[in-house]
Amino acid sequence: MGSHAKAWLVEDESAREMLDRVLTERPFLLLPPLHRVPLRVGNVVELVGPSSSSKTHILIQAAITCILPKLWKGVSYGGLGHSAMFIDLDCRFDVLRFSELLNHRIMEAANGSSSKVGCHQKDSEAQFERMKPYNEELFALCMKRFLYIRCYDSSEFLATLKTLHYRLQKEREVHGVNVHLLLIDSIGAFHWVDRGSSSFPLEYDNRKSWHLQNVSEAVVQEIRRLLLVHPMLVMATKAVVLGNKYSTNELTWNYRKWSAVDNPYSRNITSSDQQLPYREYMPAAWQSFVTHRILVRATDWRVHPFLNMCTGMYDLLYVSEEEKEERVMENIVEKGKEMTKKRKETGEAREVKVLAKKRKSTQKNPSYFSNE
Amino acid sequence: MARLANLETEYPVLDSTVRNFCASHGIFSAAFAEQNNSSERLKEGIAQVLSIIDDMHQPWLNGMELLEDAKRNKHVFPTGIQGIDLLLGGGIRVGQLTELVGPSSSGKTQVCLRTASNVARNHMVLYLDTGNSFSPQRIAYFLGKTINPSSAQAKNQFLQKVMSNISCHSVFDIFAMFDVLHQLESYLRCQDGRGGCQMRLLIVDSISSLISPLLGSSSTQGRALMTSTGYLLKKLAHQHNLAVLIINHTVGGEGGYSKPALGDSWKCIPHSRLFLSCDRGSNNYNVSILRHPSMASGKAARFVI
Repeated sequence: MGSHAKAWLVEDESAREMLDRVLTERPFLLLPPLHRVPLRVGNVVELVGPSSSSKTHILIQAAITCILPKLWKGVSYGGLGHSAMFIDLDCRFDVLRFSELLNHRIMEAANGSSSKVGCHQKDSEAQFERMKPYNEELFALCMKRFLYIRCYDSSEFLATLKTLHYRLQKEREVHGVNVHLLLIDSIGAFHWVDRGSSSFPLEYDNRKSWHLQNVSEAVVQEIRRLLLVHPMLVMATKAVVLGNKYSTNELTWNYRKWSAVDNPYSRNITSSDQQLPYREYMPAAWQSFVTHRILVRATDWRVHPFLNMCTGMYDLLYVSEEEKEERVMENIVEKGKEMTKKRKETGEAREVKVLAKKRKSTQKNPSYFSNE
Repeated sequence: MARLANLETEYPVLDSTVRNFCASHGIFSAAFAEQNNSSERLKEGIAQVLSIIDDMHQPWLNGMELLEDAKRNKHVFPTGIQGIDLLLGGGIRVGQLTELVGPSSSGKTQVCLRTASNVARNHMVLYLDTGNSFSPQRIAYFLGKTINPSSAQAKNQFLQKVMSNISCHSVFDIFAMFDVLHQLESYLRCQDGRGGCQMRLLIVDSISSLISPLLGSSSTQGRALMTSTGYLLKKLAHQHNLAVLIINHTVGGEGGYSKPALGDSWKCIPHSRLFLSCDRGSNNYNVSILRHPSMASGKAARFVI
């Protein structure tokens, strides 16, 4: 009896052995531009951001890194060499742009290796011509590893997920390549349509109706089942509307929460800013399924040509309260670098701010508000 | 989802044994197929159910097939307006939704009429008109400007041919538009088989007058209809190789500047968005890119109509 109980306590492996095993079976996938985030298969990543904030571009770059081989005919491409599946719910994928990016990466890697050898300009051009058939062959090989489908409504999406298991098995048998990446463009694409149809039950018997919650739960369930058998990294984009609830004005967003004062390269949202800067609309089933959430937004806020920033901004400055003025001015300094001159450092801007506070007249400080 | 019993007539494999098996697992319709390693017959039945589900979604394509389809079918149609063509790198693309946004009298309808007259030389065009802004005289004027001055009879014949390629429908509410689009879908399905002159351009002037009345603050039906419209247009564009041109208005935004109508949910639907404006009192128009699949937003150009 004692030895039986003791047999229970005998260890299977030490912690170090387990770590080694896990890191070989489920290694970290470092996909640029998210190479700072340690992602592994089985993780579910959600890229959140307003429209036109490069979320799809990140997905495309991740797909390209996945389908490129690590090493091919002596040139290192730094890819993963696996297949990637792209489920396009937004139906806005541009395959020409994708192929351009892939070609660019292939040539960059090829040039990189040739420049190491130390070629001259003419030699590199000749080599480029020589490499062309190889590049095309590699291009074809990679494109065949990229699988694409588009869904026009939730029922097509669910049908795709339900048959994905057999599809993946077939891919494995036919091509012998595993799928390591599942990309979903815009998981919230059918949100309004599903919400709108929740009042119509599908059948008159006790079948489930086509609710938003039910659809979401079914999607999560299918992906979970899939991840058990085919471990993959799931990346999904979600379009949200940024802005706090007090002002929906794009110009007075609370950028202070976002911008790092010291280091412009690492922007971390501190724990004190727990209030999300956007309104979450996906059901709880999906929200709890996500393991990593990455917020993306465009920092270079270009002034749209039709917006006369000067007049718009002047109105804002002199109509809103002092505190808003402060923030707006910081925004101008931070974001409107194309409008203001580059030599307006923070010290000078604060001085101008103070001046504007004291000055209640509408007389503009010409050096600050001049635009090129 | 069809019930399995109803599918038996089409697929005789799904006889009563398979249905009993499925019933024992709680599967009543084609949506809930599970895998099991029992008899061959059951396996066949399950395979059949899976193939039925496979038909319910679009086929999987790999990158090379997508690229081939894009190169073969998804051409670029020049609008006939030099400034816009230069800005867009050729013109509007088949398979994509291009949206023209602008305040009133900023040339949106003129651009559409010019594009229609250009495309109608070789292909058919469908113009959905919500505000009685379609003008055949204007199209004849555009065509007259560009053809060589030959005999009046040849000119007339040419005009007749091109004008007969354009069909204009008036729609005044969203359900009428859905009707027309569904009829168009069935027409295009039979068109894809035969050759000859094919429909390649669909113009909706303007979609905001159809959808804005539906968008209240509390109802979700309006936005659901708007999203469904967008997806139907995208489906038509991609599957039947149409270029779609949509006109949208502007509304006042915060801070006194104008923004496109139909809100944030509509932003993700068109592929490209162009903002048009007009210099007061002249024929000069400005166009700038709000969004484009491969070009940076903010690029602008001028054109004259």
